[in-house]
Amino acid sequence: MADKVLVQELRRVVGEANVIDSDVHLQLYQYDAYLEERRPDAVVFVHSTEEVSRVLKLCHAHGVPSVPRGGGTNLSGGTIPFKGGVVLEMIRMNRLLEVDQGSLRARVQPGMFNLELGNALAPLGYQYLPDPASQKAATLGGNVAENSGGPHCFKYGVTTNHVEGLTVVLSDGEVVELGGQAPDTPGYDLTGVFVGSEGTFGVCTEVVVRIVRQAEGVKTLLAIYDSIEKGSETVSAIVAAGMVPATLEMMDQLVIHAVEKSLACGLPLDCATVLIIEVDGLRDDLEEQTGAIVRLCQEHGAREVRVAKDDAERALLWAGRRGAFGAVARITPSYLVCDGTVPRTALPLVLKKVAEVGEKYDLKIPNVFHAGDGNLHPLILFDWRNPEQKERVMKAGMEILELCVQLGGTISGEHGVGLEKMDAMRLVLTEDDMRSQLKLKRAFDPADLANPGKIFPAFREVSCAL
Amino acid sequence: MPCDLESLRRRLESLVGEAHVQAGEAATVPYCVDGLRPGLRVLPGTQDEVAAVVAACAQAEAALVPWGGGTAMAMGNPPRRLDVVISLARLDRVVEFDADNLCITVEAGMPLARLQALVAERGEQLPLDPPDADRVTLGGLVAANQSGPSRLLHGTARDWVLGLRAVLPDGTRIHCGGRVIKNVTGYDMNKLFIRSCGTLGVITEVTVKLLPLPTARASVLGAFVGLAEATAVLAEVQASFLLPEALELLDPAAADLLLPALGAEPRGAFALVAGCSGSQATVDRQVRDLERMVAARGGRVLALREADSVRAWAAITNVLGSATPDARQVVCQIAVPIARTAGMLASARARAGEHGLAAAVTAHAASGVVRTVLQARSGQAEPVAALAAATEALREEATAAGGSLVVLQAPLAFKGLVDAWGKPGSSFTLMRRIKAEFDPQDLCCPGRFLGGI
Repeated sequence: MADKVLVQELRRVVGEANVIDSDVHLQLYQYDAYLEERRPDAVVFVHSTEEVSRVLKLCHAHGVPSVPRGGGTNLSGGTIPFKGGVVLEMIRMNRLLEVDQGSLRARVQPGMFNLELGNALAPLGYQYLPDPASQKAATLGGNVAENSGGPHCFKYGVTTNHVEGLTVVLSDGEVVELGGQAPDTPGYDLTGVFVGSEGTFGVCTEVVVRIVRQAEGVKTLLAIYDSIEKGSETVSAIVAAGMVPATLEMMDQLVIHAVEKSLACGLPLDCATVLIIEVDGLRDDLEEQTGAIVRLCQEHGAREVRVAKDDAERALLWAGRRGAFGAVARITPSYLVCDGTVPRTALPLVLKKVAEVGEKYDLKIPNVFHAGDGNLHPLILFDWRNPEQKERVMKAGMEILELCVQLGGTISGEHGVGLEKMDAMRLVLTEDDMRSQLKLKRAFDPADLANPGKIFPAFREVSCAL
Repeated sequence: MPCDLESLRRRLESLVGEAHVQAGEAATVPYCVDGLRPGLRVLPGTQDEVAAVVAACAQAEAALVPWGGGTAMAMGNPPRRLDVVISLARLDRVVEFDADNLCITVEAGMPLARLQALVAERGEQLPLDPPDADRVTLGGLVAANQSGPSRLLHGTARDWVLGLRAVLPDGTRIHCGGRVIKNVTGYDMNKLFIRSCGTLGVITEVTVKLLPLPTARASVLGAFVGLAEATAVLAEVQASFLLPEALELLDPAAADLLLPALGAEPRGAFALVAGCSGSQATVDRQVRDLERMVAARGGRVLALREADSVRAWAAITNVLGSATPDARQVVCQIAVPIARTAGMLASARARAGEHGLAAAVTAHAASGVVRTVLQARSGQAEPVAALAAATEALREEATAAGGSLVVLQAPLAFKGLVDAWGKPGSSFTLMRRIKAEFDPQDLCCPGRFLGGI
């Protein structure tokens, strides 16, 4: 692992103050938003593509693995240095390098927070569409690595649909440009392949994203239900009616209670579920669309539908949704977030089954999810000090993923496989599928130094079998 | 290394039946790629048969080219070798249509137009509109990353493909993605196969996301004497809140090919066409605003509603295809940052003029994509050299702007002078390593892709 010599060499490259290797400091880098921990051997603060390249060249020469770290909000253990080595702290590479309104592109450094980019574009009348709920603390580099989603994916797609180009440093220090400002770069779509590779292909040091004009108008609705089935049936009904809302988000009673306790957004405490529905676009038909959605909600058993009157009311609804994970964290010592995805019409069934899993394992499972995408986030509550309970949680989590796959879905919609779901990969992929993916890994990172030990079950066993 | 075609033929016949293996000049000439005639054409009937055929080719070290509708076979560099054409014609079935979840899975040989007709019965569409929709297959669309004017609002194949099945060059069957709209289970292998042009294996099945059909459609065509007026309107539309589905800019030569199809007279004008779709209210509003913008810049306005609009876009999409391919003509696609699109259209006309060539140029004007047909005039001396010089000049300009020029169709003599893709960039080492991992024997479309891949 990172020996004294490497640490000294790293200090020569980035400066004394930019390398951390004291135990106390390293502890701050041993975890992310998942449940496992592993301490790195050193943390290096990087400031430029060139610096990242020099650092990775050194690591490569010493055979030491590395993991880039953004906001550390990863929910699947993607940021944990599983095999030790060096953590690259990207947070100081946080500048907006260029906004080209004429070409609808922005060039940013990976350490910039998602929300910061949004805030920088808003005064110009532009926006970057992917908006993970953690956007206050999640960086764009992390979004690229995980192919992050967010509430607006149903209409606008996920990170990969909005990334046009990347500067990447490979694990041997080589700098490559993938894609760029212009579309349809000849050759393989390596930008598309890199997005969602969870740090296992290299370190991205610059991102070219697509920006768009802000919508002329937005309407946000809150539909309140006494039954969770009715709520999820409404989601399918809206889609079946040929409408494409920007968001179709759902929260159940346990989540609503948690949100109200910490954020007081005015959500009713006595309902089973709420739907947050947003339509955007040209003003001309927003009233009509809103009216049609209100009618559909009522036809499907909503007891009340509120339309946000102004930006303040709209912001309050979103504060509740975006703050949901944090709010739940305040009512439980720990929780495991599941991230399974099913075809939208299977939602009512999968929700019922998730509740059954909760009963079977005697666990509380509040639910907050992207209903339009069929992407659910059951939060399995527990106390990390109770190992027996943790074991039940892991079993329940796996059972929920199995359910999603049985219903035609998959094990992760937006949080990544990381360490968490390696064993669930076989639910979806055959050995041949995984071998073909490992070909890509070898092409990008033949020495297996980029965030090693992630994604693939029994990684060694599969790769040796080739 | 030449392979033993006769024993491969017997082997393939045993796998797919005698009727589905064709040899001999008459049967294989239509499947030449850049003049290179395959020894065999094989038509597997199932995805498993494709896998068996590819495995047999690998064993015999036979070079293969997958063939869908054949619409992109002129693209790329001449293949180094070609032994077997694998036709996907028999793989044209629907695997599963899940209309309630806006999703359909089809075999790769399904023609796009047939898929559109099928999903339209349930009020849905795949909003991709490449030329030759009646011939282009889903597998071909994905492999060659074919797109059309509506990429402005809807993007390209990478935004609509949810899952794929493919046969790797050694005959292994794999699947990528799935049928849910968010999926980060492992690497995004769909992206690897989209625009891989058959160099990593054979795509056998495609799952795409669908979109509800709009309730209303309309287009506004503005005809302008000068390019400056057309681009001024373009800039105004781009800065507005309007959300046109497509914005196509046509130079006078292309506009003159198009206008008769719309019942208008050709008059040597630049045309800017905006396509709108959505609810009646938003379409009406956009038509109103667009008509005003065109008129304010002195343009002649032609508004096209519903069926007329749909017909217009079919004509626009295929306008450059309607010129008959011949030995004196080169078709290119230029990609540049969006703000450079109109400038590139002007350059294409200028470079053509400088080299004594005729040109017809169109652009997905707010997407950074320009298509040119350059044609030598009858009696022009050294036509291929002139075509090559004009193309290289355009490529230089596109590359300097951070873009590219790709040759879509050209005579063989031209391809000897001009690389179809241009010079690869810094990521080419990665691409070569990927190719070597997936196709170590170099049997899938060898030589046709970027940098000799």
